[in-house]
Amino acid sequence: MTTTTGNIAVGGVASGTPSAPPMKPYRGPRWTPYLFLSPYFLLTAVFFIYPLAYSAQLSLYYTNGPTHRSFVGLDNFRFVLTDRDFYTALFNTVIFAASSIFIQLPLSLGMAMMLNARHDRFKGLFRLAIFAPNLVGQVFVGILFMMLFTPRYGLFNQFLQTLVGWGLEERWLADPTLVMPAIVICSLWMYVGFNMIYFLAALQSVDASLVEAAKIDGAGPASIFWNVTRPAIMPVATFVVVTSTIGSFNLYELPNTLLQGAGPKNSGLFAVTYLYGFFNAQDLGTAAAVSWVQAAIILSVSMVQIFLSGTARREA
Amino acid sequence: MQFPYGSAALALLVVAVGSWVAIVVQDLTGATDARRPDLIFATFSKEHAAAYQPAIDAFEKEHGVRVSLQVVDQRALQGRLQSAMQVGAEVPDMCELLDGTMGVFTSGPLESVGFVDLTDRLHDEGLYPKLVESRFGKWSSRGRIFALPHDVHPVMLAYRRDVVKNLGIDVDTLTTWDEFVRVGRQITKDYNGDGVIDHYMMDLPSDGGDALRLLLLQRGARLFDEQGRVAFDDEKAAEVVCWYVRQTVGKDRISFPAGWGQNLAKTMQDATCLFYLCPDWRTMQFAMDVPGLSGQLALMPLPAWEPGGRRTSTWGGTGLAFPKQSKNFDLAWKLAMKLYFDNADLGARFKDTNILPPVKDAWSQPEFDEPDPFFGGQQRGRAYIALADEVPDEPAHTYMTSGIVKLSEAFQNVSIRYQQRGDEGLEAYALAELKRCADQMRTRVARNVFLQPQVQPQTPPQVQPKVGADR
Repeated sequence: MTTTTGNIAVGGVASGTPSAPPMKPYRGPRWTPYLFLSPYFLLTAVFFIYPLAYSAQLSLYYTNGPTHRSFVGLDNFRFVLTDRDFYTALFNTVIFAASSIFIQLPLSLGMAMMLNARHDRFKGLFRLAIFAPNLVGQVFVGILFMMLFTPRYGLFNQFLQTLVGWGLEERWLADPTLVMPAIVICSLWMYVGFNMIYFLAALQSVDASLVEAAKIDGAGPASIFWNVTRPAIMPVATFVVVTSTIGSFNLYELPNTLLQGAGPKNSGLFAVTYLYGFFNAQDLGTAAAVSWVQAAIILSVSMVQIFLSGTARREA
Repeated sequence: MQFPYGSAALALLVVAVGSWVAIVVQDLTGATDARRPDLIFATFSKEHAAAYQPAIDAFEKEHGVRVSLQVVDQRALQGRLQSAMQVGAEVPDMCELLDGTMGVFTSGPLESVGFVDLTDRLHDEGLYPKLVESRFGKWSSRGRIFALPHDVHPVMLAYRRDVVKNLGIDVDTLTTWDEFVRVGRQITKDYNGDGVIDHYMMDLPSDGGDALRLLLLQRGARLFDEQGRVAFDDEKAAEVVCWYVRQTVGKDRISFPAGWGQNLAKTMQDATCLFYLCPDWRTMQFAMDVPGLSGQLALMPLPAWEPGGRRTSTWGGTGLAFPKQSKNFDLAWKLAMKLYFDNADLGARFKDTNILPPVKDAWSQPEFDEPDPFFGGQQRGRAYIALADEVPDEPAHTYMTSGIVKLSEAFQNVSIRYQQRGDEGLEAYALAELKRCADQMRTRVARNVFLQPQVQPQTPPQVQPKVGADR
C-alpha cells in the first residue's frame, strides 16, 4: 500500500514527480507563529467571543438600554418561554421554514433541472430572469408586493380574479389567514432563483459518464434522478436546506416592510421581529434571552437536518 | 522596493492612513468645531423643513448664527437618537419626534430621560396655558413634559360632495355614527349590476390600525391612562371594536380599505368610498394626490357616538424635544419660540402645511379664515379650529407599540368570531378578548422595574427583582 504526504512517496513506489527539497525546520522565536495568528484571535475574541459572553450575561438582567440594568436571574427566559407571542412567532417561523424547504427548494430544483437541459437557446436569459428578483432586496420586494396585494386595484388581485374568478377584494395583508401565504408568495418570487443557482451548479457537476452508464443499463429519467443525480447533489441540497432554515429564522425585513409591523393578530410575527420588539423597547436582557433560545432551536434543527441528510447520503 | 501585498493593498493602506491623519489633524486644530453650525435641528418631515426654512433664515440673520436644518427619516432619527443618547455621542440640539416615539425615550427612570424636562419652564414662562392642553399628553411621562407640541390634528370627515349630493345624502343629518351606518347600509351597493359594489360609505382599514385607535379616542377609550395603566379593556372599547367589526366585515359592511398613495387616489377618484377620515394634515395630501377633485370634496365633523357627543378625534402628532446633551440649549429654545410661538409665522405656515398649530392666540391670524377652493370654498382653518378644544388626550407610553399590537390581536379575534357566529354574544366576547390582551400587556409593563413605582401597578410583577444594580 502506498500513502503520500505532499508529493513524497512513503513506503512504496515513488511518485512520478520529482521530490521537492525537504523544508528546513523553523528556527525563529517560538512566539512568531502566534504573532501571525493573533489578528484572527483578536478579531474573533472582540467580535464573536466577547459579544456572546456579554449577551449571555445580559440575558440575566432586565435593562433599560445599556446604562441601567437590574439582575433578574432566569426571569427573562421564564418570561419568554411562557409568553404566548413567543410561540406565535415560533409557529409562524416554523411554518415559513417548512414552506421554504417543501415548496421553495423543490421549485428551485425543478427549475435548475429545466435550465440544465442541454439544448436550450435561451438558457442564459432564463437564468438571469429567475435569479434577478434576488438582486433587489427584501425591502424593495416588500414595498412592491404591498402594492400588488391591494384589494380591488392590486395587480395580483386582478390577476387572480381574471384567472379563477376570485380574489379581487381579498385583503392579503389584513386577513390573518392570508398573511402567511402572502409572505410565502413574496419569498418564492425572491428566493427560488437564488437557490436554483446552487442546484444548477450541483447538477452541472454530476458525472456525465455515470448518467450515460445508467442510460445504457436501461434506467429511465426518474431512476437516473433517484440513483445518480440525487446522491451527487445531496451535499449541496443539505447546505441549501440548512441555510434556508437559518435564513427563515432570521427573516425580518420582508414581513416588516410588507406588513408595517407584525400584521393582524400577529400573523406576521417572526422570531426576529419578536426579538426586535424588546430591543426597540430598550429591554436588551429579554432580547438577549430570546436570541439564546432562538440560537438553541436553530442549532438543534440544523443538527437534525445534517444528521438526516448524512444518513440519507450513506444509504444512497 | 515593492510593497509585498500588491499595489491595490498599498493604495488602500495609503487612503486609510491619510484619512486617519486628516481626522486627527482636524480635531487637534479645531477645524471640525469651526465648521459645526451653532445649532443642529433635525426633523423627519421634509414638508416641515420647507415650511421652517424662511423663519430659520430670518433667525440666522437676527442672531448672527448658523442653523443646520436636517431632514432624517423617522426610523433612522429615532434609532440614532436612542443610540447617541445611550453612549453620549453627539446629538442634534433640537429634534422633532413623531407621535408614539416619546415613550421609547421615557422607558427608564425619569432622571435618565435623554430630553430636557420642559414642565417648569413652560409654566414659568406662561406658555402652558397658551397651548391646547390635550396636546401635552403625547409628549409627557409621569406628569413631566419633554417636548413642545407642534400641532392639534383634529379629525373630520372629508367626503365626495358631488356623489353624496347625487345619492341624496343630507350630511347635516349624519350627527351620530348610528345614523351614519343606517345611511351607509342604504347606499353601499352595486349600482350597475356587474357584481362589484360601486360605492361604499366609508374608507376604513380592515385591520383596524390608526382608524380604530382614533375612534376609540373619540369614544373616550384609551390604550393607557394618565397614570400609565393599561386601559383598553372597558365596555366603551368593546363597543367601538364591535361597531368597527360590523362595518368592515361581512355582507352588511359599509367600508372599503382604500389604503394609501395611488390606491387611495384611485378610490377617491372612482368614489369607491364616499367618506374619509381626515385630520388637518391629510387635507394637504388630498390636494396633492387628487388635484382633479378640487371643488368636489367637502369637510364635516365626525358623527358622535351619542347625540351631543364629541364630534372629533385626533390622528398623529409631532413634538419638538431638546436632548440634554445639546451644547446650546438657550439658543435652541429661542429658535423654538420663533418656530412654535410666533403668531404671524404660524399663520403663514398654516397656509403652507394645512396643519393647525396648538397656539390658540395664533388662530386669529387671517390665514385661518381663508376659504379653501379645494374644499369648495369652505373655511378649512375655521372648521378645524371649531373642533380643537374637543380633541381627546392620548397619553404617551413606553409600551404604546405593544399596546397597539395587543389591541389589534383582540380586534382580529372579534372579527373572526363575527364572521363565524355573527352578532350573538359579540360584545361580551369582545370585552373578554380585550381583557385577556390587556392582562398580557399588564404583565409586560409590570416587568419594567425602571418604570415602577411611578406607574401604578395593576398586576403585581411575578418576580420582584432587586433594583440597585444600576451602573
